[in-house]
Amino acid sequence: MSAITLRNVIKRYGAVEVVHGIDLDVEEGEFVVLLGPSGCGKTTTLRMVAGLEDVSDGDLSIGGARVNEVAPKDRGVAMVFQNYALYPHMTVRQNMEFSLKPLSLPADEVARRVDEVASTLGLAELLSRRPAQLSGGQRQRVAMGRAMVRTPDVFLFDEPLSNLDAKLRTQVRLEIAKLHNRLGTTVLYVTHDQVEAMTLADKIVIMRDGHIEQVGTPEQVYSQPNNTFVATFIGSPPMNMIPARVRQGRLEADGLLLSVPDRFKGVLAEDQAVTIGIRPNGLSLAKDVDHNTAPARVEVTEYLGNEALLDLRAGPHELIAEVPALGRPAPGAEVTVHFDPDALHLFDTASGDSLSL
Amino acid sequence: MNKPSTQQAILVYTLLGIALIVFMTPIYLIVSSSVKPSPIMFQRPPAMIFEPTLDHYRDLFAMRPFGKFIANSLIVALGSTVFSVFFGSIAAYAISRIKHKRMNDVAFWILSMRMFPPIAVVVPYYIIFKTVGLLDTPIALIIVYSTANIPLTVWLMKGFFDEVPTALEEAAAVDGHGLISIFWKVTLPLAAPGLAVSAVFCFIFSWNEFLFALMLTGSNAQTAPVAVMSFWSSDAVQWGRIMAGSFVILIPGVVFVLTCQRWLVRGLTMGSVK
Amino acid sequence: MAYIRKRNRRIFLIFLLPAILILFLTTIYPMLYAGYLSFRSYDLAKPFVPRVFVGWSNYQNVLTTGDFLHALKITFQLMAITLSIQLFIGVGLALLVTQRLPGMGIARTLLLIPMMISPVIVGLVWLFLYFPELGYLNYFLSFLGLGPVSWITSPDWALWAIAIADIWQWTPFIMMGTAAALTSLSPEPYEAARIDGNTRWQVFRYVTLPQLKPVLVSLLFLRAIDAFKIYDIIFVLTKGGPGDSTEVLSLYIYRQSFTFWQMGVGAAASFVSLIIIVVLITFFFKSLNRDPMQS
Repeated sequence: MSAITLRNVIKRYGAVEVVHGIDLDVEEGEFVVLLGPSGCGKTTTLRMVAGLEDVSDGDLSIGGARVNEVAPKDRGVAMVFQNYALYPHMTVRQNMEFSLKPLSLPADEVARRVDEVASTLGLAELLSRRPAQLSGGQRQRVAMGRAMVRTPDVFLFDEPLSNLDAKLRTQVRLEIAKLHNRLGTTVLYVTHDQVEAMTLADKIVIMRDGHIEQVGTPEQVYSQPNNTFVATFIGSPPMNMIPARVRQGRLEADGLLLSVPDRFKGVLAEDQAVTIGIRPNGLSLAKDVDHNTAPARVEVTEYLGNEALLDLRAGPHELIAEVPALGRPAPGAEVTVHFDPDALHLFDTASGDSLSL
Repeated sequence: MNKPSTQQAILVYTLLGIALIVFMTPIYLIVSSSVKPSPIMFQRPPAMIFEPTLDHYRDLFAMRPFGKFIANSLIVALGSTVFSVFFGSIAAYAISRIKHKRMNDVAFWILSMRMFPPIAVVVPYYIIFKTVGLLDTPIALIIVYSTANIPLTVWLMKGFFDEVPTALEEAAAVDGHGLISIFWKVTLPLAAPGLAVSAVFCFIFSWNEFLFALMLTGSNAQTAPVAVMSFWSSDAVQWGRIMAGSFVILIPGVVFVLTCQRWLVRGLTMGSVK
Repeated sequence: MAYIRKRNRRIFLIFLLPAILILFLTTIYPMLYAGYLSFRSYDLAKPFVPRVFVGWSNYQNVLTTGDFLHALKITFQLMAITLSIQLFIGVGLALLVTQRLPGMGIARTLLLIPMMISPVIVGLVWLFLYFPELGYLNYFLSFLGLGPVSWITSPDWALWAIAIADIWQWTPFIMMGTAAALTSLSPEPYEAARIDGNTRWQVFRYVTLPQLKPVLVSLLFLRAIDAFKIYDIIFVLTKGGPGDSTEVLSLYIYRQSFTFWQMGVGAAASFVSLIIIVVLITFFFKSLNRDPMQS
C-alpha cells in the first residue's frame, strides 16, 4: 500500500490551471523529492497533500484513504515550512507543545515527547529560548522537531534549507538524511536545488509547468533523462545540447559529424531532426582525429581544483567540457574534442523525448 | 546620510532649539501657571522663580466635583477603548484574511466613517439618545466614540495582521488548531504592539474629545475637557484653575508619548508611510 | 491561507459583522435622520410644534443666503493657511531631527507632545497667550519689535490666531510622518548623488523630495480631513467671531442648530458638507488610484 497516492490531481485557481493532472505514488518509508524550477507546481502539490490547498480535481490518498475533503490535522501529516514558521512569541518548548495541543495528550506524555525529540535533535539546551535567540540551523532543527513530536505518518518539507548558508545547508542536509534513516517515516520534500534532491531522495519527481517530467531514482534521472528538459535541468554544468540531423547513418550538426552509436541504430530515421546531448564529462581532449572528434577552440577555462571546465567553440556550437585540471589547454588554444559514444544521449528534436530504449 | 560637520551641527541645534522653545512654551505655561499664585499670573516679565502653590488644584477638586468629571472621562475612554479594540481587531483580522474583491470597499467604507464632520451628526445623535433615554450617560459617549475608534483600530490592526506571516497560521492549522485558537494564540500575540497602539489612540481620542461630550452630556456624565471649558465661562476666568485642569487632562497623552513614542509613530504613520 | 479562509468563512463573517453593524447604526442611521430633518422645519426651542415638511427650502436657505458659502470659504482659507505652513515647518523639522546627531531622539519625542493634547486645552492655552492686554504673546513679540496685535478681537487677525494654534498642534504630525519616511529611505541614491557631486539642495530637490511625495500627499490628506472638521479650537478662541470672520462650516452648523434652533437648516448644511467631503475624498483616492487600506 502506498503512503501517498495522487491520481490525475489537478489544481486550478479560478480559470488558471497550475497543476495539470498529476499521477504519483509514494511508497511507505520512501524519501521522495519534488524537484523543479520555481513556478512548476511542486509547492502547490505539496500544499495539496498537506491540505492547505484544495484539490480541484482527481484523487489524493494518504495511507490508502482518500483525503481530498479531510482537514489537514486528520491527514497524519506534519509540515516543515520554508521559513520555519516558528512562533516567535513562544519558546522552543512551547513551539513544540503547541503543535501537540490539539491532540489533548496528558501533560507528562507531552513533556516526554518534547524531551525525546529535543535530545534527538540536540535541542535540549535550547528549550527555553525563543526563535529570535537561535541560529538559522537551530531554527531549522526546531521546525523539524515541531513536526517530529506529532509522530506523523508523513513528513512534508517545503524548501526547508533555502534560508541557510551553503555550509550549513550541507550539514543540515546530512542530518535530515540520517534522521530519515533512523525514523523511516515517509517524506515528501520540495526543493529547487538538484544537489539536495540527488543526495536525499530515494525517488526524484521532476516537475515543470504543472506536469511531471520524470520520476526515478537519482541515478535514473541523471543517466537516463526522459527528455531534454530533465537532461539539462539535472547536472551541473548542464548537458551540452547540439541540434543535428541523421544523414546516412551519421549525425550531422553544422560542421560536426559523429557516428551513431549502435544502440540507437534501430530507432533513427534518415533525415530525422535530433538533439545530441552529452554531459561535460563525456567530452575529452583527443590527440588524434577520428569519426567521434571535432576541432574546437578554447575560449575560457575555469579552474575547479581537480578538474577544469573548458568553454569550447566548435564551429557554431558552444560546448562545455570537463577535463583534468592538470595539463589543461590555455584560452585560445586549438584542440580536438572527443565525444564519448557511450555518453551520448539522443533526443527527438520535435518532441524533446529521449530516443534511448 | 553621513554625519553633519560641526558647522552644520551648530545650525541644526540652533534651529531645533528655536523650534523647541516655540513648541514647548505653551506646555510650560500650562504647567507653571497651574502652580502660580493668581496675583502674579500675568506678571511681566513672567515670574520664573516663585513659590509654587497647589491652591488651584485644591480649588479644582474641592470646590468643584472635578474628580467626578475625571472619573467620567476615564469610564468613557476605557469603555470605548475596550469596546473598539475588541470589535475593531476581529473585524480587521477578517478584512486582512478574507481575499475578496469587495473587501476593499468594506474597508474603505469603514475608514470613511472617520472622515465625517462630527457636527453633521451631533443633532441626530442628540435626538436619538434623548429618545432612548441615554442622553447625559457615559454609554452615549462610549457608543459615539466607538464610531471613530473602531475604524481607527481596523485601519491600524489590519496593517499589523497583514505582517503576521500566513505560514505561522498554516503551521498551526496543519497541527490541528482551529481558527479561534490560531487567532488567539498565534496571530493576536504577534500583533500585540498593534493592540497597544490602537488602545492608546482610542483612549487619547476619547479622553480628549470635546464636541460630542459638550452636546451629549450634562451635569451627570460631563467629561473633564467640557468641565474645564465651563470654568472659562462660569468663573470669570480663573486661569489658575483652568491651567490646573488642563494639566490633569494632558497627563495621559504626554505619558504615552514619552513611554511608547516608537510604537505611536509606527501606528500613526502606518497608513501614510511605506 | 486558502484552507484557513475556506474552512472559516462563517467565523470571519462573525468577526466582521459586529463592527459593520455598529458603524451602520451609528453613522448611516444618524445620517438618514439628518436627511429627514433637512426637509423639515424643526425648531428645537418649540418642541411641540409639529415638524412640517418644507421641501427643499432648508437647502435653498443654506445655498442662497451666503452665510454657508462664506463659512465654506473660511474653512478652505483656514485649510490652505494651516496645511501649507504645517507642511513647510513640518518637513523642515523632520530634516533636522533625522540628522545623525546626539539628542535628536529626545527632540523628536518632545515635539510630538502638542498633537496628543486635547484641542480644547490647545485652545485654552492659546487663549491664555492671546488674551487681550494680559496675554504673553504680544509681550514676547515686543522683543522682536513686533505687535501689539489684537489677536482674537480683530477680524483681520482672528483667523491667523486660530491658524497658529492649529499649526502649533499639528505641525508635529507632519514632522513625525516625514521623519519616519526619511529614515526609511534607502541611502544609496544619496551616496550616488554625493559621488556625482550634487549640492545639498539638488539632492533634496531631486532625490529626497520625489521620494517623500507620496507620504506628504497622504499626510496632507489626513490633515485636510481634520481641517474640514475643525471645531474645538475655534469654539474656545473666537466662537466664529469677531463677526463671522472665523465662522467655519462646523461653527455655521452649530450656530444654525443651537443658537437659532433651526435644526432643519443645520441638518441641510450638514448634508451639503457631507456631500462635499465625500466628493473630496473620492476625488483624492480616484486621482491617486490607490487603496486607502493598503497604502
